[in-house]
Amino acid sequence: MSIEEQYRTRAKELLSGGAVKMVIGYGKGTTANRRRPLFISSPDEVERLVLDDVCITNLSGYLVSEGLLSDEKRVAVFLRPEGIRAINILAAESQLDADQIVIFGFDVNGNEVQALKGIHVEEFADVIGSIKEAAPEAAEEELFEKIEKMSPQERFSFWQEEFAKCIKCYACRQACPMCYCRRCIVDSNQPQWVNTSSHTLGNFEWNIVRAFHLSGRCVECGNCDRACPVNIPLRLINHRMAEEVLGAFDHFSGMSKTQEPVLASFKKDDSETFIL
Amino acid sequence: MTKILFSDKLDNCVERWKSGGFTIIGPVQRANISTYAAVEHAAELDFGLVLPDRSIKDLFFPQSEPMLRYTIKKESIDTNECLPPAGPRIIFGARPCDASGMSIDDPLFGWDYKDEYWFQRRNESVIITIACTKADDFCMCTSLKMAPDTTKGSDILLRPLAGNKGWQVEELTDRGREAFSAIADILQEGADTLAPLAVVEKKFDLDACVTWLQNPENFESRFWKEISMRCIGCASCTYLCPTCHCFDIQDEGDTYTGIRRKNWDSCSFALFTMHTSGHNPRSTQSARWRQRIMHKFNYFPGKFSVNSCSGCGRCSRQCPVDMGITETLQEISTLSL
Ligand code: SF4
Ligand code: SF4
Ligand code: SF4
Ligand code: SF4
Ligand code: SF4
Repeated sequence: MSIEEQYRTRAKELLSGGAVKMVIGYGKGTTANRRRPLFISSPDEVERLVLDDVCITNLSGYLVSEGLLSDEKRVAVFLRPEGIRAINILAAESQLDADQIVIFGFDVNGNEVQALKGIHVEEFADVIGSIKEAAPEAAEEELFEKIEKMSPQERFSFWQEEFAKCIKCYACRQACPMCYCRRCIVDSNQPQWVNTSSHTLGNFEWNIVRAFHLSGRCVECGNCDRACPVNIPLRLINHRMAEEVLGAFDHFSGMSKTQEPVLASFKKDDSETFIL
Repeated sequence: MTKILFSDKLDNCVERWKSGGFTIIGPVQRANISTYAAVEHAAELDFGLVLPDRSIKDLFFPQSEPMLRYTIKKESIDTNECLPPAGPRIIFGARPCDASGMSIDDPLFGWDYKDEYWFQRRNESVIITIACTKADDFCMCTSLKMAPDTTKGSDILLRPLAGNKGWQVEELTDRGREAFSAIADILQEGADTLAPLAVVEKKFDLDACVTWLQNPENFESRFWKEISMRCIGCASCTYLCPTCHCFDIQDEGDTYTGIRRKNWDSCSFALFTMHTSGHNPRSTQSARWRQRIMHKFNYFPGKFSVNSCSGCGRCSRQCPVDMGITETLQEISTLSL
């Protein structure tokens, strides 16, 4: 049985027995290489679930939709390792109760889909551990290397050109499972902390605010990067910040549901004498 | 015999127009995005795109526009109005769905208040459109009763000749004729074969959709929630749309001095139409998505007798969760059977 079929069967069992109220997975998209998020609440509809190598979107963000988990019922969700890490962070940051989440774990190698064993987030600790080991090199690409070698001035110009394209649609924020704030700082207008205009200053402010808020929390799922309609390589910023946090604090985001948020905790023996 | 503009003569035209004071704008690929931008030479233009990622709207209604500078003094308030930078422009190589989008928005910007920013730019721009010889899975001009060679909103329509040799010229407006009279000697007479137009399959029955939308019973239909459950409210669809026109007015600066700006806004934002009391008449994403569809295919045509959609397909093409106008209208046309 293919993994797709196994997961459909499991979804059917869970829904018919009432063990979960909903399965969030992927369905067919407009074209052959697109998949769309799918919400299944009836066992008769599980055939619509698709699982293949183009199931890329990290679906964990839907779990914090207003009211979804407030009835304390369980919800099942298809997740890659990044998505599973996101569950740990959301749980650590008190945004959800991890016991309510039933995981259909999978990973894609080349174009092959592999099932990840486990149901609850704790069971994936080894998978996450092995990503941590491989992480520093895994996400690196030519452009990243190129930027690393630039002088600060060149690097600034590079990002200036990229941020000039930003139209402040906030798609990056909306696509990100970690951007769950009901009222984002850019939406606060009493006072207006961040300019709403998408001019040079406003675009820098926005992208810098987001980079900081995601440091040590981003799981590098790539949702923001893929959602950005003007193709700003946001993944490069995320990866750089993740490396920084790993190097400085040996913190790899989303290791466990009790992991302390790195930029929101302070230890007395910290090597720095102040916190930002 | 018709007038032909040969591709290898385009740079001469660009030079001629530039010396006549025009800025030349056209489809380009820059910094990993395709858009309409100013060029110096014809070689910079990219005619191979189905259509640019960014729409032509940006040239008439930029994402952030200064309106006035203010200084508040003890006895008075000084204001200095900012008007858009003036100067004639030629937009060479717009797509029909982008050009028609601008004429769709004309009545909106000229309705109870004449938006000077929009009309100054409209009056100073000559839109030279190139008919499409290729389309992708998301193009849907034909579903909106338009076509890959729609002339609506264009001053000139160019029909590509076979083998990328050039374009057959169709002059549509006085503004277009004037711009082309400046290059009359560069054009040639000819009877070359035209490249076949793109074939764009019709995706839904627009009239059936409109009838369904106009039925007040369907306002509270469960359909809205089901179709929009995966919408993440990212606004890409509205910001890339050539006809979406919502904006917000913001003052930037401190209490005494600053600048008033007109910034894009989107019905997909949770803050859109939020009252100061905190109440929001469209408090859910499904209510916001319904607003987008109703506005485009019910309220806007009710007021201006034209749908607020030109069928460019950008909303579906770019949606990170594979939603869009196309799917919604396809579903509605099946509901209305
Ligand atoms: S910042 Fe981007 S890559 Fe990181 S978790 Fe959010 S969406 Fe994923
Ligand atoms: S998705 Fe891209 S364009 Fe939109 S706000 Fe984020 S960085 Fe800017
Ligand atoms: S929607 Fe029609 S007019 Fe627009 S690019 Fe596609 S084929 Fe051309
Ligand atoms: S682009 Fe898609 S997800 Fe984003 S607001 Fe539009 S429909 Fe919703
Ligand atoms: S609604 Fe979609 S298809 Fe219609 S004009 Fe806007 S972006 Fe294009």
